[in-house]
Amino acid sequence: MPMFRKPKSDMPKSGMPSGALAMLILRVLHSGPLHGYAIAQRIHVLSSEVLDVEEGSLYPALQKLLLKGWASAEWGISETNRKVRFYRLTPEGQKQLESELAEYARVTEAIQSVLRTA
Amino acid sequence: MNAMKEMLRRIGYLLTRNRRRRELAAEMDFHREMAVRAGKPDAKRRFGNPVRLQEQAREAWGWTWIDRLAQDLRYAARLVTRSPGFSLAAIGVLALGIGTNIFMFSAMDWAFFQNLPLRDPDSLVRLKRVSPQNSAEAMPYPTAVYYRDHARTLSAVMTQMGGRLELDPEAKALSAVYVSANYFKELGASAAYGRLLDPALDRAPSTAPAVVLGHDFWQKYYRGDPSVVGKTIRLNHQPATIVGVEPYGFPGLGNSGDSVDLWVAVNQQPYFVFASKALTDPGRDIVAVWARLAPGVSAAIAEQELLALTNARRPLCPECVWKGESIRVEPAGHQTVLDTRAIRGLSIVGALGLLILVMTCANLGGLLLARGVAREHEVAIRIAVGASRKRIFRQLLTESLLLAFLGSAAGLALACGVLKGCLLYFGRPTWVSAAPDWRVCLCLLATTFFAAVFFGFLPALQLARQRHKRTLARQVLIAVQVAASCVLVIVSSLLVRAAQHVIFTDPGFGYEQVISVTPGLDEHGYRPAAAQAYLEKLEERLRTVPGVASVSLVRYSPLSGGSVVNAEIQGKPVPVHRNWVGAEFFRTMDISVLLGRAFAPGDKDAVILSKSLAQRLWPGKNPLGRLYQDKSVVVGVVGDAPVSAIHDAEALEIYSPAESADMTSMTVVLRSNGAPEGLIPMLKTIVQALDSNLFPEIDLLKSDFRRQMESMEEVTLLMSAVGVAAMLLAGLGILGLVAYAVSQRTKEIAIRLALGSPKSQVMISVMRQFSGPVLVGLFAGVGMAALSMRVLRAGLNGISATDPVSYASAILIMLTVFSIAMLVPTHRALRLDIARALHQE
Repeated sequence: MPMFRKPKSDMPKSGMPSGALAMLILRVLHSGPLHGYAIAQRIHVLSSEVLDVEEGSLYPALQKLLLKGWASAEWGISETNRKVRFYRLTPEGQKQLESELAEYARVTEAIQSVLRTA
Repeated sequence: MNAMKEMLRRIGYLLTRNRRRRELAAEMDFHREMAVRAGKPDAKRRFGNPVRLQEQAREAWGWTWIDRLAQDLRYAARLVTRSPGFSLAAIGVLALGIGTNIFMFSAMDWAFFQNLPLRDPDSLVRLKRVSPQNSAEAMPYPTAVYYRDHARTLSAVMTQMGGRLELDPEAKALSAVYVSANYFKELGASAAYGRLLDPALDRAPSTAPAVVLGHDFWQKYYRGDPSVVGKTIRLNHQPATIVGVEPYGFPGLGNSGDSVDLWVAVNQQPYFVFASKALTDPGRDIVAVWARLAPGVSAAIAEQELLALTNARRPLCPECVWKGESIRVEPAGHQTVLDTRAIRGLSIVGALGLLILVMTCANLGGLLLARGVAREHEVAIRIAVGASRKRIFRQLLTESLLLAFLGSAAGLALACGVLKGCLLYFGRPTWVSAAPDWRVCLCLLATTFFAAVFFGFLPALQLARQRHKRTLARQVLIAVQVAASCVLVIVSSLLVRAAQHVIFTDPGFGYEQVISVTPGLDEHGYRPAAAQAYLEKLEERLRTVPGVASVSLVRYSPLSGGSVVNAEIQGKPVPVHRNWVGAEFFRTMDISVLLGRAFAPGDKDAVILSKSLAQRLWPGKNPLGRLYQDKSVVVGVVGDAPVSAIHDAEALEIYSPAESADMTSMTVVLRSNGAPEGLIPMLKTIVQALDSNLFPEIDLLKSDFRRQMESMEEVTLLMSAVGVAAMLLAGLGILGLVAYAVSQRTKEIAIRLALGSPKSQVMISVMRQFSGPVLVGLFAGVGMAALSMRVLRAGLNGISATDPVSYASAILIMLTVFSIAMLVPTHRALRLDIARALHQE
C-alpha cells in the first residue's frame, strides 16, 4: 500500500505535450518581441484556432524560458497603453529553437515513414 | 556552463522574489483584462483562481519549498509557544539526551581528534620499542641518542624523563621532568616569563644549571611573581637558576604539561641526582622518546630506517637490542592514540550514549503521540479543506525538527556548561577549551536530525494517515523505552555494586598504619650488591625505631600499580598481579597466611598464591608443594589482597621472593604501632644518615587508599545518577503513553462502568495491552545488558557480569516503577464521572 494516496492532480492541462508549448513560444517570438497575451493570441490564430493556450500553462512555461535564458523580458507599453512585459528571443533561445525544430522534424519524419509503410 | 547560469538566475529570482511576484501578478492581470476585452466574458471564471495560477507559474522558479517551509516553521513556532509546558518538557528531555551525547563526543574529540596546540602536530611522532616478546613505551637514553644522531628520516628527536627533586629549605618534593634541550623549540612554545630551555644555551653538560618553572607550580608556590626569574634556588641541595616560566596551557608531550613543577635539561640530571647513571645506562628503558618526521617522510618510511639502524646497532651493543626488535612510530599530535583498545572503549561509550538518545527519543515520541490525540481534530479539518497528507506529514515533521533544534541548542549549552564546569573543577587540562569545534557541531547536527526523525516520524505518520486507533506505534515505543532503560539500569547497578563491594568490604590488607619508603637507589647509580647492603642496613635501623612493628621489602610499592603476568588456567591465559616481596611483607601488610608459610630468607623458586588463584589453579585440592608453571614450588597461600589493583574485586595475586637483581628499585614498607604520621621525619633522617645523597619518597598508604576510594565513589555516584535518570525517564514516558491510551478509551471505560463492570476488571483490561510490550522490553533489555556487560568486562576490571542480585534488584525496581507508571493514569481514569464522559463523546 502506498504511504499516501496520490493527491488530485493540480498540474495544468495544456492539451499538448509540455515540450511542444516551449517550442511554439520560441517560434512565435522568432518574429519579434511579444507580451504574454499576444503570444497566446498568436498561437491561437496561427493554429487556425485549434490550439488554445491557457494562463495556467503559458506563464509557467514563460518563467521556465526566462530561467533557462532562452528568452529575456523587458517592460514596454501595450497597444492598450498599459505597462506590460515583452518577451524577446535570446541568441541561446534561437539556438534552442533550431535544435528543437530539427529534432521535431526528425521525429515527425520517422513517424510519417512508419505510417506510410506499415 | 548553462546549468551554472541557470542556477545563478534562480538565486537571483530568490533574492528579488517579492518584486517578481508582483510583476507576475500584474502581467497575469493584464492577460485576463485583454481576454475579457477580446470578448470572452467568461474568461475570469474559466481561468480559475488567480492566486493558484500565480503560484503555479512561480513553481517554475523552484523556490516554493522555501515558502512552504517558512509557513510550516511559523505554524510550528506558534504551536511551541502555545503550549509552553509541553514544549519545555520536550526540550528538557531532548536537551538531556542530546547533551549527554555531545558531552561524550566532546570528551572523545579532544582526546582523539583535536590536534595538540603545538607547532606542526602532524609531523610529531612517538617512538616505542617492540619485539615479538617485549614492548616498552620508553627506551634507554643512549638508544635515543643513537637514533637522534643517525636517523635521517627524523628531523629532530626529543626525550622526556620523569623524576623528583626536593626544593630547599623546606624539602618540598617537586615533580621534575628532564627534557632534551630542543624540546620547547621543537614544540613551538614560548615562555610566559624569561626564557625556556634552548639548544644553544642548555645542550652542553657543562652549562650553568637552569630550570624552567611549571606554570601551575609558579602560580601556587611563587604566587605568579614574575621577579622569580633569575633567582637561584637549591634543588636536592644543588644551586640552580630559574630562567623562565612555562606558558599557560602548554600541553607538553604524553600528558606532562599540567602536572610538571620543574622543567630541567636532561644533560643536567646527573648534576641534581648524585651518581646517576640515567644517561649512560644502556639497559634501562627510562626516557620517553618523540620525534619529528623530516619533510615528506611518512611514519612507515621512518620505521624502515629505524629498523635498519636497530639491526646495525646489534653487533655494536648486543645488550641494547632485543631479539627481533623494531621501533614503532606512532602519530603523537593528538592527546591519545586511537588504537584498537581505545576504539573498543569508545564503542562502548558510544553505544551507551546512543542508548540514552534512543530512550529520550522514544520518550518524546510517546509524548508527541499522546498530544496527537488533541490534534486529531485539527488534522481532520485540514485534510477536509484540501491539505494533502504529504503536506500534513511534512508539517508535523517540521514541528519535530523545530523541537529538536531547540532541544539540541539547549543540549549544546548543557554539554558545554558541564564541560566547562569539569575543566574548572579539575583545573586541567589547561589547553582544552569547552567551546565546540566543527566536529562537535557536525555530531550535534547529526544527532539532532536523527532525534527529530526518530521521535517525530512515527507519531507524524500515524496522525497524517489518521490511523490513531492502531496501537502498534505506542507498543513499539514502550518496548524500546523499557529495553533501553533496562540496559542502563542493569549496567549502572552492576557497576555501582562492584564499586561498593570494593569500597565497603575489607580490602584484605591493612593500610591505616603502613608507610612506604622508596629510597630511589636506582636513580643514584647503585649496583644491586651495594643496594642490597644498603637495604639490609636500612631495614635493621628501621626495626630499632620505637613504634615500628615490622619492616619488609617489596618490588612494587602498594597501590602504585605493578606487574601483570599471564597464568594459564584450564588452558586459558588469565592476568595475575605479580609482586616480589621480602619475608615480613604479609605481616607488615596484615595479609593473613591461610596455608603453609610466608617466605623465609634464602627461599628460591618458591611462590605464594592468593586464595582465589590457588582455587582457580587447583580447585578443591591442597596447593602446597605443587609446582607453579613447572618450576616454582607453592609454599603458602594467603588471603586475597588486591595490593596493586584495588579497583579489581576479582584480582588474582602471586608473590615471589625478592630477587637480588631488583634490589636497586625496592621499596621498604613498614607498619607502625600507633599513628604513622609522626614517624615520617625520623624515617627520612635514617635514610639520609645512611647515604646523604638520597632523597627518599615517603608516603602514608592510607592517604593513597583514600584518594583511590574517593575517585571510585565519584564514579559510583555518576553511574547511579545515570541509572536513576534512565529509570525516571522511562517511568515518565510510560506514564504519558498509558495516560494517552486511557484517554482514547474513556468512552469504552465509561460504558463498561455504567453497565456495572467491576473496576478491577476494567483496570486489568486497560493494562493488559501494556504488559506485553513491557515484558518484551524487559527481556530484550536483560539480554542486551548481559551482552554489553561481557564486552564491558574486558574494559573494566573485576565486575561480575552475572551478579544475580544486581539483575534481580534492577528488574524489581523497574517493574515497580513501571507498575506505578501504569497504575496512576488508569486509576485516575476509573474515577471519571460516567454521565459526563458519555455526554462529551
